[in-house]
Amino acid sequence: MAEITFDGVTKIFGDDIRAVDELSLHVADGEFMVLVGPSGCGKTTALRMLAGLEDITAGSLSIGGTVVNNVLPKDRDVAMVFQNYALYPHMTVAQNMGFALKIRGQSKGEVAKKVGEAAAILRLTDYLDRRPKALSGGQRQRVAMGRAIVRSPQAFLMDEPLSNLDAQLRVEMRLEIARIQRLLGVATVYVTHDQIEAMTMGDRVAVMRGGKLQQCDTPQDLYDHPKNDFVAGFMGSPPMNLLRANLESADAGVALVLGAQRLAIPSSYATSHHLPRVDGPGVVFGVRPEDVEVRDVSSADSLTTRVERREALGAEILVHLSLVDAEGDNAIVVNDSGAVVARPTMLVAKMGPRSGVSVGDHLQVRLNPEHFHFFDADSGLSLRRGA
Amino acid sequence: MMAVLTPPTESEGRNEPPPLKKPPRKIGRWVLFGAMIVVAVVMLYPFFVMGVTSLKSESQFLSGGGFSWLSWSSLTSVIPVGQEVLSSTIVCSSSILIILCVGLPAGFAFSKLRFRMSTVVFLVIVSAMMVPLQAILMPEFVNVTKLGLTGGYTGAILVYAALGTPFSVFLFTTYFRGVPDELIEAGIVDGLGYFGALWRLVLPIAVPAIATVTVLQFIQIWDDLLVGLLFIQNTSDRPITVGLAVLAAGRTTSIPELMAGSIISALPAMLVYLGFQRYLVKGLTMGIDR
Repeated sequence: MAEITFDGVTKIFGDDIRAVDELSLHVADGEFMVLVGPSGCGKTTALRMLAGLEDITAGSLSIGGTVVNNVLPKDRDVAMVFQNYALYPHMTVAQNMGFALKIRGQSKGEVAKKVGEAAAILRLTDYLDRRPKALSGGQRQRVAMGRAIVRSPQAFLMDEPLSNLDAQLRVEMRLEIARIQRLLGVATVYVTHDQIEAMTMGDRVAVMRGGKLQQCDTPQDLYDHPKNDFVAGFMGSPPMNLLRANLESADAGVALVLGAQRLAIPSSYATSHHLPRVDGPGVVFGVRPEDVEVRDVSSADSLTTRVERREALGAEILVHLSLVDAEGDNAIVVNDSGAVVARPTMLVAKMGPRSGVSVGDHLQVRLNPEHFHFFDADSGLSLRRGA
Repeated sequence: MMAVLTPPTESEGRNEPPPLKKPPRKIGRWVLFGAMIVVAVVMLYPFFVMGVTSLKSESQFLSGGGFSWLSWSSLTSVIPVGQEVLSSTIVCSSSILIILCVGLPAGFAFSKLRFRMSTVVFLVIVSAMMVPLQAILMPEFVNVTKLGLTGGYTGAILVYAALGTPFSVFLFTTYFRGVPDELIEAGIVDGLGYFGALWRLVLPIAVPAIATVTVLQFIQIWDDLLVGLLFIQNTSDRPITVGLAVLAAGRTTSIPELMAGSIISALPAMLVYLGFQRYLVKGLTMGIDR
């Protein structure tokens, strides 16, 4: 078991495609680190460099304190679980699991013992003589896990191992992988594009975009204190509402200009955040869907909205709201490139399953002033002091 | 005027749609079946003639009737059938071994490894399939003669291997492209090198491709006359096809003996084909369902 350190690791494909751009990341011994991000963000390339399946263009990568840039995959002592499991089709489950040990010259007895132990952990004992094609998706996934754990490697590397499973099995295996990782206490780097997997499984989550690390933090810190508008918009389902708005002087301090409406910003944000001047470039204002609450009456801290769409999910309802102006029409807003667009400013709110809202209703909503987020309008960086 | 009432037909009574016309597909199947019979007869008739003729003596063949084992019993005294079959087997198996030993790693490299100019090199090798044997026969003969390899099996084996390798590289490359990269990568992370991955992971699942190359090359080499005739000049080492050609070219050729020899010559290729037919179909149609 060992710690893993990416130190300014860069991968350039061809002449100028920077798949990973100066990634610096430390994974502690026994830690479950999740790399998450949209397709093409470089998370899988980072994992493959760690496995030794891709060369490193620049920077250094170390496992257990040893730089492994030029170490062959077989000598890195890491085990990898692939998205499509990559089980050896001509071998039985037991042979698949024991293959790496056999290559390393361990005795038959030793191999059988370790395979038996791993099979017991993964509840695969009854399937040891089967070939992969005679197994279900979940069983194949467990065999792939078993192949990794029998080796007692320094680190587990997992490349979207749950993405080929159906939704129910995915939830089960999510818990199973987390359980096994905690049981074995091996440093794990887990790649996924599913932010729910990232939030539920990782001790820490590293969010990547365009080859660059955006933020690495505990799941709750990522959710509560995103360092930029990309992380804010990526983590959470549904994602944070992000509205581009100008600031205006108000009686009690500063207010956000949202179409024809004004939303007072509590004075505490003037000290906790680097808010721009009122005549400045404006901000990207963020609020989570669960912080949008329906009010009976209009007040200084509420907005008038209209229900545009309603998505009932059983346990909750997602209500898509548009801001309306004084006449009840959709407010015309300005998009990021400065062009006037007819699309109304939309807010998504999470409401209880019994909320009797219907499409077309006009609602007064209060945005929880304790959980406002402000990001720089140009760079997207959080304006929170010390972020 | 009284209306004539007609009883409802059975189908109308059950309120069912009228029966459909017989599908034209059935007629097409009969036409296809008939055509296949014709083709089969055309293909099998020579074998029938060979079999019947070989079971006659020379005089019975000329008179058109009778039955005799004479041509079979006298065949070994006319040509050294055993030695020639052995020579064909040695040349055939050695050539195929070289073709597989070169084609498998080359196919693996072209399909799974990234290296400079790989596509160009692959195209150059595969384009060699389009060069007919006759076009390069004389230069090959000159080269092999200069190397002093035209006496025994070596020259012919090298020529057959050189002629068969481009096809095998093409087939293995195509086949291995269908093998997921992750399978190889899993093996490499597990502790294998590229040769280990080829030998222990890819080879066991490449049986259809190996069988396809083996069968097609076996048939081609076993049935070939030209290379054996030119490159194996020791009389004692000549393959069965050359032996039969010598027999056919004789001044007093016995047709029944020639037919008996032809059957011995054709039988191994047919048996190999029938034995590996299952793999052959799989090997040649691979990639179609992707």
